[in-house]
Formats: sequence, structure tokens, C-alpha cells
Amino acid sequence: MKALLYGVIIVGIVPIQSVLLPHLTLWGVKPDLGVVAVCLIGLISGELDGLLVGAAIGWALSLFSAQDALTGAMLKGSLGLAAGLAGRQMVYLSPLVLVVGLLVVSCLVGLVTPFVLRLNAQQDLWWAVWNVVLPQACLDAVIGGAIYWLMWSQFNVEQLMSESRM
Amino acid sequence: MWMVNLRVTSNARRVALVLAVVLILGFLLLPGQLQSVFQGVGGPLGWVISGPLNVVAGVHDRIAGVWGGYVALQGMEEENRQLKRELELLKEQNGQLRESAAATERLATLLDFKKQALPTLIAAQVIGRDTGNWYKTIIVDKGASDGVQPDQGVITPAGVVGRIVKTTASTAVVLLVTDPNNAIAGLIQRTRDEGIVEGTTHGQARLKYIPLLSGARPGDRVVTSGLVEGFPRGLAIGTITRIDKEEEALFQSAELTPEVDPNRIEEVLVIQSSLVPTEKERLSLPRPKP
Repeated sequence: MKALLYGVIIVGIVPIQSVLLPHLTLWGVKPDLGVVAVCLIGLISGELDGLLVGAAIGWALSLFSAQDALTGAMLKGSLGLAAGLAGRQMVYLSPLVLVVGLLVVSCLVGLVTPFVLRLNAQQDLWWAVWNVVLPQACLDAVIGGAIYWLMWSQFNVEQLMSESRM
Repeated sequence: MWMVNLRVTSNARRVALVLAVVLILGFLLLPGQLQSVFQGVGGPLGWVISGPLNVVAGVHDRIAGVWGGYVALQGMEEENRQLKRELELLKEQNGQLRESAAATERLATLLDFKKQALPTLIAAQVIGRDTGNWYKTIIVDKGASDGVQPDQGVITPAGVVGRIVKTTASTAVVLLVTDPNNAIAGLIQRTRDEGIVEGTTHGQARLKYIPLLSGARPGDRVVTSGLVEGFPRGLAIGTITRIDKEEEALFQSAELTPEVDPNRIEEVLVIQSSLVPTEKERLSLPRPKP
């Protein structure tokens, strides 16, 4: 069941990200649903799931982008692992804490990405922070918070977290 | 409330850490090899994903069509009037161009120019945009199985769109001419000065390395020079809007407005590189008549 759900997420995230989300932009920047999904999976299901699903999502997204596949898989995989390790240290996570956490994590990933991708000299760190990293982090935090709030109000997330790690 | 969870499954953690270390070591030590492995193995995954991608893109296009056809009709009357005026102007220009074309044909026959094979074009539909925010790309519904390969040029009848950078079996990713990581050899049509067209972070393009003595000015059209693979000579890239000349610089540069608005492209044509005449073929002199 879990594997099927992960499969649907990996396959479904690409059409949403490339077809639907370009209509939901902030200053021309769209949210990265991959970051949101990987963080939530890592937090709820643990570091192994976070790493593997994160790498698969990063890889799948990079197949439909100019970004190289290895960098995508590595960045999202590392993020899933970190989210899983962070999730181990908590038994209760409110939507507000998750929003702040996602904002910080998305900023950190966004700051690392231009260096890893070795972009054109025009796309320096200052440009990246104001034009991509901050708008994307805000959108990621809002969307991640909304999804988590929905899960939080419908399911017992704490129990889900404990059960999935047993 | 934050507490330490003591029910730690150490096996899962160990496996995750080992996998992460392997992935990071691979990234640091064998980036080129692993990159090609990931891209190669990604073929079946890309094929699986392109199914839902086409379905979602189809639904999206239908909704956009309904919107464009019925809801967004306001203001059409004024646009229609403006288009009619433009049509009249273009008809007049068309007549002049026909005359010029006929004259060129007569002269070319006289000089016995070799007929150049026109490149084969593959029509493709835009089904999506880049999945990230770092590159300006579009996704088209033709891939490796249709003969699309990396480095092939992509155009519309209006001008250059970009270059193929990645393919799956049934889709391809096109890096737009407005992306700062793209570079296409360009030529100012009036002055014949060559340079490199590069995208800018503002969604425009820039022609770099124009000689200092060039007489380029705003309004000049820039076309492909045909010096790099993928694009034959003479395809429109953009129009110069500003010339930047810095003191003590070896070259000047020019800002361009691309002919094609990347945000409004729906269909494109992919140029099959192998059929584009090479520079040597293009420059070969006509044989003298016996």
C-alpha cells in the first residue's frame, strides 16, 4: 500500500509541477512540490523512506527539466534523509512549526542549488536569493503547511509517525 | 512539545545512512559516469511519467481552449480591428517580397547555385514547463522515438525558440533562448557582425562580443549565423533594443527582444540536425559553367 502511494506521488508530481503549477506563481516562481512531499514523507515515515522516495522524486523531476538527474536525486534524497532524522527527534509537530521548518529548509536547499548546478554568472547568489529562493520558500511553506494541516485535522499524525517507524 | 523518540529502528537508519554516503560519494567522485547512468536508466521512468503528463496537459489544453474561446472574448473587437490594419500592411509588404523573391530566384539560376536541402522539421506540441525554477525550459510531446535528439534546434515560424537539452522516449526538454545558460551563434542582419546570443535573467536575450567598430543600432534584427550545430543560417532570433558600450571594453553588447514570446508558445518545430547543411556545404562556391 505504502509503495503504491509512493509510486503515485512520484509519477503524479511531474504533471502537477510542470503543467498546473506554472499558473500558481509568485513573481514568476512556482513552488517546489518535491521539497514539500519529501519533507513530509521523511518526517512521517522516517529517514530510509525519505531518502529513497526523495531520490526518486528528484530524479523524476530532473528528467523533465534542464537540471541534471544526479544533482536532483542527491539534493532531494539528502533532504528526505535530513527530514527523517529530524522527525526521529519529535513526537509532536504542529502545522505552524512545520511551516517555519519548511521555510528554513527550502531556503537552505535553494541556497545550495545554484552552487551545485554551476549556473551562468548572471545568476549569482544575490539574484538567486531574491528571485528564486525566498519566493519559492514562502510558497513551499504555505503549501506544505496547508497539506500538513489537512492531514493533521483528518488523521492522527503522531500515531501515524510512531507506527510507520516501528 | 518536543521529545526524544526512543523507538528508533537502528537498521533503517543504518541503511539510510549507508545509501546516503554512497550517493554523495558517487556524486563527488564519479559525477560524469553516474550522471549518464541516471539519465540512461531514467528512460523507462520517463516513459511511465510521460503518460500522466500527456493526460494532464491534454485536460489543461481543453480547459485553456474553452477559456480562450468563450470567456476571454472580451476586447476581441478592438484586437480584430488592429489585426485587420496589420493585415493590410503585411499584404503590401508581401507583394514587395514576392517581387524580391522572384528576382533572387532568377539571379540564383543564373549563378547556378547548388540547391540546398531544407532541413526536416518535426512538429511538436508544448505540454509543460520546467519542473524547477532554475532553468527556463518547455517540455514538448516528441522524444527520442520520434527522432528528437539533444542539441537539435527548436523554432516557430516567427523565429528561434531554443535548443533540445534532454529527451525521454516520448518527450523532450527545450532550453529557451531567454535562459542565461543557453548560447546561440547570432548575426546582425544589416551589418553582418557576428556574436553570441545568451539569455538574461530578465527574460530577454543579449548579443555579446559585437566588434567595437560595428554600426549596430536599436531596431536591427539578429538572426542565426549557422556557425553552430542545430540551426541553419538566417532564422530570426530577436531585435536589438539597446546597445551597451563600456569604456575600455574589447567588445560591445546589445540587448534583444526575442521574436518568440516563450510564455505563449503552443506548437514548435524541431530541426533535425543531420539534415542541416554544414558551413562547408553552404560556403562551397558554385561551379563555373562549361
